[in-house]
Parts: sequence; structure tokens; C-alpha cells
Amino acid sequence: MSRTTVELDFFGMEKESSSSSSSSSKSQFQKFLDRQRSFRGIQSAISKINPEVLKSVIASAANQGSEACNAIPSKNAVSVPSSPVLPVYTPPIVRPSSENLPDTAPLTIFYNGTVSVFDVPQEKAENILKLAVEGTSDPKVAVPSSDQQQLLDTLSCGIADLPIARRKSLQRFLEKRKERLTCISPYACYT
Amino acid sequence: MEDRNVSRVRPGMSEVVIGCVMPYIHDPKDRDAVSLVCRRWYELDALTRKHVTIALCYTASPDRLRRRFRHLESLKLKGKPRAAMFNLIPEDWGGYVTPWMNEIAESFNCLKSLHFRRMIVRDSDLELLAQSRGRVLQALKLDKCSGFSTDGLLHIGRSCRSLKTLFMEESSISNRGGEWLHELAVNNMVLETLNFYMTDLVVSFEDLELIARNCRSLVSVKVSDCEILGLLRFFCAAPALEEFCGGSFNEQPDNYSCVSLPPKLCRLGLTYMGKIEMPIVFPCAPLLKKLDLLYALLDTEDHCMLIQRSPNLEILETRDVIGDRGLEVLARSCKRLKRLRIERGADEQGMEDEEGVVSQRGLIALAQGCLELEYLAVYVTDITNASLEYIGKYSKNLCDFRLVLLDREESITDLPLDNGVRDLLRGCEKLKRFALYLRPGGLTDVGLSYVGQYSKNIRWMLLGYVGESDTGLLDFSRGCPSLQKLEMRGCCFSERALAAAVLQLTSLRYLWVQGYKATSATGCDLLAMARPFWNIELIPSRRVVVADQLEGAVLVEHPAHILAYYSLAGPRTDFPDTVIPLDPEESLVT
Repeated sequence: MSRTTVELDFFGMEKESSSSSSSSSKSQFQKFLDRQRSFRGIQSAISKINPEVLKSVIASAANQGSEACNAIPSKNAVSVPSSPVLPVYTPPIVRPSSENLPDTAPLTIFYNGTVSVFDVPQEKAENILKLAVEGTSDPKVAVPSSDQQQLLDTLSCGIADLPIARRKSLQRFLEKRKERLTCISPYACYT
Repeated sequence: MEDRNVSRVRPGMSEVVIGCVMPYIHDPKDRDAVSLVCRRWYELDALTRKHVTIALCYTASPDRLRRRFRHLESLKLKGKPRAAMFNLIPEDWGGYVTPWMNEIAESFNCLKSLHFRRMIVRDSDLELLAQSRGRVLQALKLDKCSGFSTDGLLHIGRSCRSLKTLFMEESSISNRGGEWLHELAVNNMVLETLNFYMTDLVVSFEDLELIARNCRSLVSVKVSDCEILGLLRFFCAAPALEEFCGGSFNEQPDNYSCVSLPPKLCRLGLTYMGKIEMPIVFPCAPLLKKLDLLYALLDTEDHCMLIQRSPNLEILETRDVIGDRGLEVLARSCKRLKRLRIERGADEQGMEDEEGVVSQRGLIALAQGCLELEYLAVYVTDITNASLEYIGKYSKNLCDFRLVLLDREESITDLPLDNGVRDLLRGCEKLKRFALYLRPGGLTDVGLSYVGQYSKNIRWMLLGYVGESDTGLLDFSRGCPSLQKLEMRGCCFSERALAAAVLQLTSLRYLWVQGYKATSATGCDLLAMARPFWNIELIPSRRVVVADQLEGAVLVEHPAHILAYYSLAGPRTDFPDTVIPLDPEESLVT
């Protein structure tokens, strides 16, 4: 599975066209998977985070991210004191899977209408989380401890929303029932 | 308790006495106590114990079982964690029957009854069983098992002439033909219970009729989805039938008015039965002791109509389409009700009756009306403390209580449930099994400490989204003196707290957790609970692509699981890739 980073700009906030992302050789299915991974679970967790904390997290991710980044000021980006503006990644070359960095995984951050996906190794991800929890040295972005805890809870436990699991037998029945209802002729549903 | 001096003076007397008494002692806890008195009693128990249940097959080895209980007549083995019934455990997790079957074939000469639950069974295992024990086997239960096909069943059908019970409910069986049933029908005259409910097996109506004709003692038959109109001759051929479940309604509803069910039928469940076909049940409704509406297509009003006609109902299983109104009718009509199970229906709009929600209203009526209730499992859409208080006040016979709060409504009338849960636990003194699955805010740390405090006799618990912090878990674990098996899901507790709780729960022998605060990358914080004979296993988080009807391929996140249990057999030797043992020694080295 290739690990190119992709920036998805859904709200057209960047002047650059999104052709760079479409030129990636990722298959439709791969992009679908990335999208799923980006949205599920993390979204609700991120929405609960103090925006100040989030800014500093993104700033440090930009610093520690393994890809070269172009910091292009976005029209609506909010500038963070003493840290770079929201990074914009364009995947420079499509890397074949053999050049994958060892043991990296996507870290997805939603902020102010943009989505950024950073390919970071485990310890760097943990550092970023720790940083967010500890807050920065700047008193203006000091984070109350309950928010710190919440951030650590929601990001590190990975269970943002565990859906209530359905019993296999009921699941089977409900699917079969749906099939029966969509059949036009009762005879056609016969197993 | 025999005094040692007395037994020296009159050797053999106490043995004669205990030898006469021992065969009458069946309860496993009594047997457990008896075996601990002295070495001789231990030996007598080992010689005479008829049944053993091994709650997790990895806690002991087949040869240890053989060394202690070589004259065993009946064995029940369980494999995969309960969560497997909810699609949460990888299929290849383990629980293989093969090593046990090999031992059974070789050594257990008195074994007549076998029950495997949530285990992986191969055709070769069934073949070995048929060859070695086929002639004497009386009961075979492959309960929610997988890994075998009708080829394996063919061996059973051919060789097991003494089989009285063949049970395969909810097993995943590859269907390679229906000859297995034909073989069984032709070779067996003593079958009493035949169950392949909730399987994909396809059988011929003629073979079912043949079995009914040949086996005059056939009392219970549960089949897969086969057309009811094809079973009419079968029904006629089985006048002694007391239990029937399964079937299917695929023809025009009017065609079913001719269906007449066997006259002694008192346990019934008809799959895909709708409003129009329902009247075929009316003639036997007054006799019904057990009604299974889990897979029927009835709405709330239909439930009311049917339940009203069934005053002798002792067991009801259905979906929450029964609604509060249905529960009120149940409370008025079915005073003998002992077991009630209400499952979760479909979530989508329009798939179930609008009235089909269960809330505090239904529970309050139920508690006051059905005083003999022993088992209650219910998915609710709304809940209050008062309703739980009512249960604590009226349901004095309750041994097993399970409540799941669905996430259909954003705001719940009355949360947290601290006081209601406390009142329920204090009132229901016979409670042995307890499940509470809520949401954040559903139970505070104080509420969780109540659970620990007031659960004197509870042996199994499932807790979902309870408590607020590690403090709650630690308070909880200071109580629960009888808790042997604990399952937790979606809780906010840290690895350290989990480990500390385990060490405090004095009776705990099995722990399963999914959804917790992972504080260490490798789970090493859990090692605080490392101790002799305690196996700790992790199923790390996975992403599984699942085929979904609507969305095509869907990526499902499975957070990590912890499974820990006491074992006399040491760590497993058959781990799949998805399961990782936590070895304290290894962690010290790395």
C-alpha cells in the first residue's frame, strides 16, 4: 500500500488546482480507503479539541512531518504566533511501494475547512500528541488540563465511537429481510 | 467432614458412605467442594463425576482432563470469546476441537455427550468421532461452530445410531448436499432433538418426513429456511412434536390457511411469519410455553394480538418491535413468564414499526406484571432510574439481567443511572449474571462503585461505556466478590487501572476488554497483572474491509482487545497472526 500524502481541499480554499492529487497513481479503491480512514472516528474526536491546541499541533506536525512541505499561505488560514502557517502538501513524486518509509501511518488533521494527512512514524505521532497535551511554552496557547486529558483520551485510545455491535444472527436476518423486500416476486426470493 | 482419627479406626466406612452419596451430587460447585476435602474424596469425585464444562478450552489440556476424569460421560467445551457472536473476533482466532477429539477418540470410553460452543470443527474431527464413538454417542452439539461441512455430517449420519440429540444451531456449515439427513433418517430410530436452525443447510422434505416416521420420540425440530408448505407431510408424520422453529413463508399469504401444526406443540418460532400468516399459530397459542419471534415479520399490534392469546408463555424472544405497548400486554397476560429476551431491530427508517421502541414505560409494566421473571435481556431506546428501581423492587427471582441503551436518541430522559442500578442490584439478590451497556455519562464513577458494592453473587458481567475514570474502575474492583468473568467494552480505563483491577478482583479468572486507554505502544503497562498461570493476549487493532450491501466495500475499525485468563496449560501454541501473547519474560529482555 503506497503511503503518499495527499491534501484534500474540499472547500476550494487553495488557489492551486487539485489536479496534483488526482494525478497520483492511487487506485480509486485506495483513495476510498484513505478517505474512510480520514473521516471515521477521528473527525468527532478532533471536533472536541480546543482550537488553540490544534493550531500548535498542526504547526509541530508541519515541522516533524517526513515529507518536504511548501508552506503556502491560505487565504483563510489563521496564523499562529511563532509557528509556520498551515502547510500545504503536494505529492511531489508518486513513490512506488518499495520506497515506503518504515512503519509510518497516516495522521489526519481536520482544521478550518481543510484536511491534512501526514505520514508519520509511531514515535513522532506520539510526540505530536504529547505536545498537544502538554501545551506549548507560549502562555497564550496554554491549555486547560481537562482539555489536555480529553485530547489524550480521544486521540490515543482510538475508540472515539465504538458502535454497538450487532449479534451475527440478527444481522443475518435483517439483511435477508431487506433482500426479500427488494425482490419483486415472492418466488424469486426462494433459497 | 470426616475426622482423620475416626477413619483410621474404621477404615472404609466413610468411603462406603461417600461412595453411596457421591453419585447423587451433580452440581459442579458442590463437586468442586467435595473434591477439596481430602485426597480420597478427590479421587472418588474424579472416578464418579459425569459432566465437566471447560469454560475456555485453553485453560486446560486434553490429557489433563483425561488424567483426572477418565470416566467422563459428558463434556462441554467453549472456545472463542463471547464477542465472536457479534463479529468482533477474527474467524481464525482459535478454539480448535481437533486436539480434544483426538483424546476423546483414544481415551474417554464412557463419553456419550459432547457440546462444543464457538469452536472450530473440521470434517476430519467429525469423521474421527463417528469412527471411534459413533456407536455410543447420544448427544452431539455443535453450537455456533464453524469449519465443517455436510461431508462431516455424513459420517455422523451413517455411524451414530444411538444419537438422540443432534444440535447445530447457528453454526457456519458448508452445504455440499443433503445426504447427511438421509443417512441419519435411514440409520437412526431414536432421535429426539434435531436442530439446524440458523444454518444454511438445505434438506429435502422427504428426508424430514422420513426422520419423523422412523423416530417416534422426535420432540424437537428446528430447521433452516425451508418453505412451510413443503413441511405439511412432516407435521403430519410427527404428532408428538413439542418444539418447532424455522421454516419460511415464500408463497402467497392466503395459501397458508391450510397449515395445521402438530397438536402438542408448545415451543414455536416461524421465520418470516407475517401478519396475514399469523393466525395459523392461534390454535396452539394457549398451549405455548416458548415463543420465538426474533425472525418473524410482525409489528407491535401483531405482537399484542398473539401475546394476548398465549397466557401460558414462559419464554419469549423477540425484537424491540414489541414496543412498550406489547410489554404492557405481556405484563397483563403472561403471569408465568420466566425468560424475556428483546433484541435490537433494524435502525433504518421504515423497516420496523414506529411504535417498536422499548423504554422505561414497558419495563415498569413488566416488572409489576411478571413476578416470576428469572432472565431479562433488553435493548432500550430510553431509560430512567425509576424503572430500574421497579425491577429491583418486584423482580425478586431475577438471576440474569442485561440492559443495552441504544444510541437512537441523542438525549436520554434520566442519566446517569447510578441510583437505579444500585436499587436494582440491591433488590435482585439472586442475580448471577449482569450486563449494562450504556454511553458516556450513563454511569458515573460513583455508580460504578455501586456495581462493585452490591453485586455479591454475580459471576459474569458485561460493562459497556460505564464510569468516568480509573477511580471508578478501582472502586468497582474492590467489590464483586464472586466475579469470575468480566467483559468490558468502550471504557475509558487505562492499562494500569485495568491491571490493578484484575489483581483486586478476588474471583476473577477471565477478562475481555475492547476499547480502553492504551497508554503503551506494546501493552506493557498491562504486565502489572502478570502472575503465574495467568495468560495475557492482545488482539491489536485491525482494519477490516467488509462487504456492505449499500456502500460496497466498507473499512471497519476494530480497536484492540485484551484477553486474559487463568490456565493450567500454559500459553497457547496455536496463535494466529491476529493474536499476540504478552509474555512478561520477553518484555524484560526487549
